[in-house]
Amino acid sequence: MAFSNGYVFGFATAICVVCSVAVASVSIGLKDRQDDNRRRDVQKNILGALGLPEDGRDLQGEEIDKLWQDRVELRFVDGTGTAVEGADYDKNGDGDLTQADADLARAAVKGTDKAPAFSSVYVRKDGPQVGAYALPMYGNGLWGPISGYLALDPSGNKVTGTTFFAPKETPGLGAEITEPKFKSQWVGKKITDGGKSRPIRVVKGEASVLCPGETDYCVDGVSGATITSRGVDIMVEEALAFYDPYLMRIRGR
Amino acid sequence: MSSPATEIAPARQPLITWDKKTKKVVSDPFMDNNPITVQVLGICSALAVTIQLNRSLVMAAAVIAVLCASNVVISMIRNLIPPSIRIIVQLSVIASLVIVVDQFLQAFLFDISKQLSVFVGLIITNCIIMGRAEAFAMANPPWQSFLDGLGNGLGYGVILVGVAFFRELFGSGTLFGFQVVPAVAYELGYANMGLMVLAPGAFIILGLMIWAQRTYTGYVEED
Repeated sequence: MAFSNGYVFGFATAICVVCSVAVASVSIGLKDRQDDNRRRDVQKNILGALGLPEDGRDLQGEEIDKLWQDRVELRFVDGTGTAVEGADYDKNGDGDLTQADADLARAAVKGTDKAPAFSSVYVRKDGPQVGAYALPMYGNGLWGPISGYLALDPSGNKVTGTTFFAPKETPGLGAEITEPKFKSQWVGKKITDGGKSRPIRVVKGEASVLCPGETDYCVDGVSGATITSRGVDIMVEEALAFYDPYLMRIRGR
Repeated sequence: MSSPATEIAPARQPLITWDKKTKKVVSDPFMDNNPITVQVLGICSALAVTIQLNRSLVMAAAVIAVLCASNVVISMIRNLIPPSIRIIVQLSVIASLVIVVDQFLQAFLFDISKQLSVFVGLIITNCIIMGRAEAFAMANPPWQSFLDGLGNGLGYGVILVGVAFFRELFGSGTLFGFQVVPAVAYELGYANMGLMVLAPGAFIILGLMIWAQRTYTGYVEED
């Protein structure tokens, strides 16, 4: 069977239209659900860094929303450590925190020297007491942006948990920073030395060998992922520098 | 992929049949003509997503869904496709279906879709799918093409899950995430095999499976 050129072009156009309509309608139809999943995934990771839920259960769906509402408070602080009334920052009014952080992330990734005007702090509430603080961090890995949350104890001196996101990093290498093996190293590390702030270093190789006597301030990088490890190192340092005035206030309390 | 398209059913017959010939369309890719162990197609994903059983089951299901759907769609329009652009038409259909599957996974199985990451998107490049579209669906009616897709998808899935079974068992001591190697064994000096977690582990398992399967069927590669 011979096909005319007109037919071939017509057929190609028809296929393109049908395929794009199908893909677009599925994508739009499922968008809300996917957005919910993504938001909950970030929330679950922040909760995990904050040590919630206490029993370490794997939460799903609306359980996450509930725990988040009950136990996490969002505050905004500026570069001098002063609280910013950030209620108007929640544009949609639905507490979609990933959106709030996304703007800050963009500023970080663009590599502008200008520090963000203010940034968020996630506070774990244990009744009236503060249980932990989680600070967002943004940086660059090898292939794209990386981010994470660093959870600190109420005194602001020690790390109680972390979580990292590395969506573009190589699975098995750079993406290993999202695995428990890397994350768990951070627990118990210190960010102060004799009352002064001191960043945690990500070193190439074994922290116990490379930082003799200072293992409280060192974690092992991921072998084969030097640039991603370096990205984490810079990311943590920059985040701690920004929050330092705020942390000094916490420590002074 | 280069095998010529063969017509197994005459053009005019009931839409849905279930005789010996059609049964063979499903059962053949399981053993005698398995896409992975005999045709050695789709190896890439067989290495990448077989660290855990959960992942490989979802991956297998995704491939089966895409393969059946793409075979049916392409078979339905096979007489309308101009031969000069048939490959790109097949690719458009397959790519659209893969995106749809990926969207569904992100909406309903978010955690697993995160673990599978790029490999769902890479189903597009899985040679099995284009291979079946070109070699079978272009020449056969939808029902047979559906069965062919199902058979090949299952043949692929069986190997995938088989490789994942050994890799998860020896590499992590778990099955479906549950600990199966008792703690006592670790105390006695048993250690998980690091090799199994890495891609070379999958190569070795796959090689052993191909050996076992070809010994059983007596299949010999032609020169």
